[in-house]
Amino acid sequence: MATRRAPLEYNRAWQMKLWLFVVFFFLYAPLVALVVFSFNDSKRNIVWRGFTLDYYKKFFNNEDLLIAFANSLTIALFATLISLVIGALAGILLWRYRFFGKTAVEGAFTLPIVVPEICMGVSMLLFFTRVLPWPNDLIWPFSLGSIIIAHVSFCFPFVALVVRARLASFNQEQEEAARDLGANDWQAFRDVLLPHLKPALIAGALLAFTLSLDDFVITFFTSGPDTVTFPVKVYSMLRFSVTPEVNAASTMLIVVTIVLMALMMLIQGRGRK
Amino acid sequence: MASQKKERRLAFLATALPPIAWVVAFFLAPLAIVWAYSFGQNVSLTEVDISGTFANYARALQPLYLGIFAKSIFVAGITTLLCLIIGFPVALSIVFASERWRAWILLLIMLPFWTNLLIRTYALIAVLRTQGYVNFTLEWFWDQGSWLMTLVGLEPLGDFTPLQLLYNNFAVVFGLVYVHLPFMVLPLYAALDRLDKSLIEASLDLGAGHIRTLFLIVVPLALPGIISGIIITFVPALGAYLTPDLLGGPDSQMIANVIERQFKKANDWPFGAALSFLLMYATFAAIALRVYFTRGKSTDAGHGI
Amino acid sequence: MSDERTKALFGPHSRRSILKGLGAAAVGITLTGRKHSAWAADEEKKLNFYNWDTYIGETTLEDFAEASGIDVNMSLFATNDELFAKLRAGNPGYDVIVPGSEFVQRMIEAKLLEPLDHSKIPNIKNIAPEFMEDAPFDPGRKYSLPYTWLVIGIGYRKSKVDGVPDSWKYLFDSDKYAGKITVMSDASELFRNCFKYLGGSLNDASPELLKKAEAMLIKQKPHIKAFHEDNGQDLLLSGEVDLAMEYNGDIAQIMTEDDDIDFVVPKEGAMKQQDTLAIPKGAPHPENAHKFINFIFEPEVGAEISSTILYPSPNAAAVKLMPADYRDNKVIFPPADVMAKCEWPNYLGPEFSRMLDEAMTRLRAA
Repeated sequence: MATRRAPLEYNRAWQMKLWLFVVFFFLYAPLVALVVFSFNDSKRNIVWRGFTLDYYKKFFNNEDLLIAFANSLTIALFATLISLVIGALAGILLWRYRFFGKTAVEGAFTLPIVVPEICMGVSMLLFFTRVLPWPNDLIWPFSLGSIIIAHVSFCFPFVALVVRARLASFNQEQEEAARDLGANDWQAFRDVLLPHLKPALIAGALLAFTLSLDDFVITFFTSGPDTVTFPVKVYSMLRFSVTPEVNAASTMLIVVTIVLMALMMLIQGRGRK
Repeated sequence: MASQKKERRLAFLATALPPIAWVVAFFLAPLAIVWAYSFGQNVSLTEVDISGTFANYARALQPLYLGIFAKSIFVAGITTLLCLIIGFPVALSIVFASERWRAWILLLIMLPFWTNLLIRTYALIAVLRTQGYVNFTLEWFWDQGSWLMTLVGLEPLGDFTPLQLLYNNFAVVFGLVYVHLPFMVLPLYAALDRLDKSLIEASLDLGAGHIRTLFLIVVPLALPGIISGIIITFVPALGAYLTPDLLGGPDSQMIANVIERQFKKANDWPFGAALSFLLMYATFAAIALRVYFTRGKSTDAGHGI
Repeated sequence: MSDERTKALFGPHSRRSILKGLGAAAVGITLTGRKHSAWAADEEKKLNFYNWDTYIGETTLEDFAEASGIDVNMSLFATNDELFAKLRAGNPGYDVIVPGSEFVQRMIEAKLLEPLDHSKIPNIKNIAPEFMEDAPFDPGRKYSLPYTWLVIGIGYRKSKVDGVPDSWKYLFDSDKYAGKITVMSDASELFRNCFKYLGGSLNDASPELLKKAEAMLIKQKPHIKAFHEDNGQDLLLSGEVDLAMEYNGDIAQIMTEDDDIDFVVPKEGAMKQQDTLAIPKGAPHPENAHKFINFIFEPEVGAEISSTILYPSPNAAAVKLMPADYRDNKVIFPPADVMAKCEWPNYLGPEFSRMLDEAMTRLRAA
């Protein structure tokens, strides 16, 4: 007779385990295939023809791909950092204050989610050529500035959304208590509100990073000859034909991501102690 | 007291100015340019004259385009529903997992979505196509079944006809769900996480079954998060064009594909601007509705300044 | 500047790039070689080349850098529309671009191209004369020079098809191969080849003809598996379809991997196209651009490019250097009698383009 599980230990129910298993299988099978086929000895990569490391060699020798890679990571990093700040502020603003024009501001913050990517991409293109021409010969990473700005514009509303949802559960009284005990606004924010927000900030950062790294449409319209990003480069390659080199490149991207995530976990874990 | 008020005001400005300034400069202004374009017309191959004409909108409201609109909403709706159904248990499982597992499951959910969208879509093609893994597996089972039949003395099954899983609407929905699942899981998790577990325990103690507890307690409390998740999933799905483009069949055209064509092949930016703005107006109206309905039940702190 | 810094980050490549990296980092300016002719000295030794992916020889860019000291930075675009959209709002810094012939016409009209100085491109003599004379989209080749040419036709899997499907009928007007057909998704390419099938010319901007083509395709749509965007050859190779409307060069490339594939230009005639080299207005390094274009037309360079990409080359001197299996390949160089029926597409004006696009939207929505 199995021990009766505690009511909230959902994860021990077999249905839950099965569900999780099926979902993870659905998510990972195509990716595993992708990785496996990066070792395929066939230029067109449709049928398996044998094992080879050739395409990894090609990838590491492909300067353009590596540069695009680096650009994507850099953009994602800066965009995430800026989005976190702006998004958190936006979330707090909407949660905490009532003011004239609030609905309009709220709408404005939600717009980037609503706007079709194409529309936003074109608007950024026009903006950065007609209104605020971005000089073409700035030092890296400033040359990526127009792309970073565009990315922040569509990333921060997601952060704001997540922060706001989290704030919905914040107990005002904690903050009042802190204030009663003599804390000023800044201290109350830093020591009471911020810790509560931490999970939302992490979730928001992950979301922003994903969106930025993955973006194609908006980046395509704001990138120039010296600022190619990974998705844009891959799209061009895919259109012509997919070779295992592209698979190799994405496998490397996955590896990099795992490393970054592991780092983040470590940092988070240490912080908790 | 006065200094506290001043401090409050300063805090408000410090919170309000950066995001508002950013949104105005780097989002609203560019959009305004495109909005202006929607009232323009092509006077030459590269020049657009903002002539204040409504011709583009008139064209966009024809049944041809409205029909495509409706279809896109339908597809995005199904996608969102599926993501909600699939994602909710996953979010639950993350929340109730032990500390150790939680990070891992979260990581495992997010990981596929760091892969570039194009790569993932191509990976899906390899899975769904006629000579893809699904069909290979099914064919293997078919052959085994056939062999079993002969064993028992029956006629073997006929030739295996592969399932058409690609280049149709099924593939589009499949692909959209595949891509958008984490956008649903994350906000759900964030909302469920701060749920007061004791409420659930109380409900169970009082005799309500799990399902009832789920619908009567968990869902209403997690509603803001659910709605966030729905919006974050529905809207990008509506505007997706790469997925229907790569995975879809001859009749899988969504509104975003039409818009994309206007800005690329058809070189008709004013019309494309009109179409995308129509799309935006509609979705914005939906969001405004939602804000209106949740106004009374707002969970915001709602301070005056 | 960005290239120097990132090359320095990513480890050693050529000695020159390390030196450049160090020098640039220390001094903050780009090093320029001073080895070559005077007129090149005022321009930075750089070239921004905007090209299709893998549409260049394996070593062409390095060879050029060796020969001239100019570093080529190649970025990629996937369709002519992208190219046009990018340049339309202002040239972001490209020196040499590779537009299709129809787009050359559009871009000339939109004043997006610099006229070419033929005196700076002596290797023009290597180009087969018919390409210099027969170019209605760019008379006198003032703005563009032919890089490759191609013809659209039907790629097919021999074992799955009866005989040789040498007519557009099998793609546009017959259910014989239902469910195993793919056609192009570009409105201009699809509909205008339909015009050829319906007995007209593909430069006939006739709304009636368009209506007929649209009706025919709507009737055919249930038999079409997919509208492909330049990956028809992959669909054919993987067995997803048995007939594909595709370019001859693409099919030639997969034929090296699968003997069961062949290609035919339909007897009604088809659309032939050129991909050309051109210099956009506002190019930062026009002198380097001319040098680069001239280099491409060297016979050995042209041969190297052709052996990589397997598209027909207009560079007669290069073709002479190619092995027989390239020169005699009926797929790369289809027979003259059917090529006589093929036409270069002209730009038919914005109004007809809009009609084409709406016809496509209606077709997709039907």
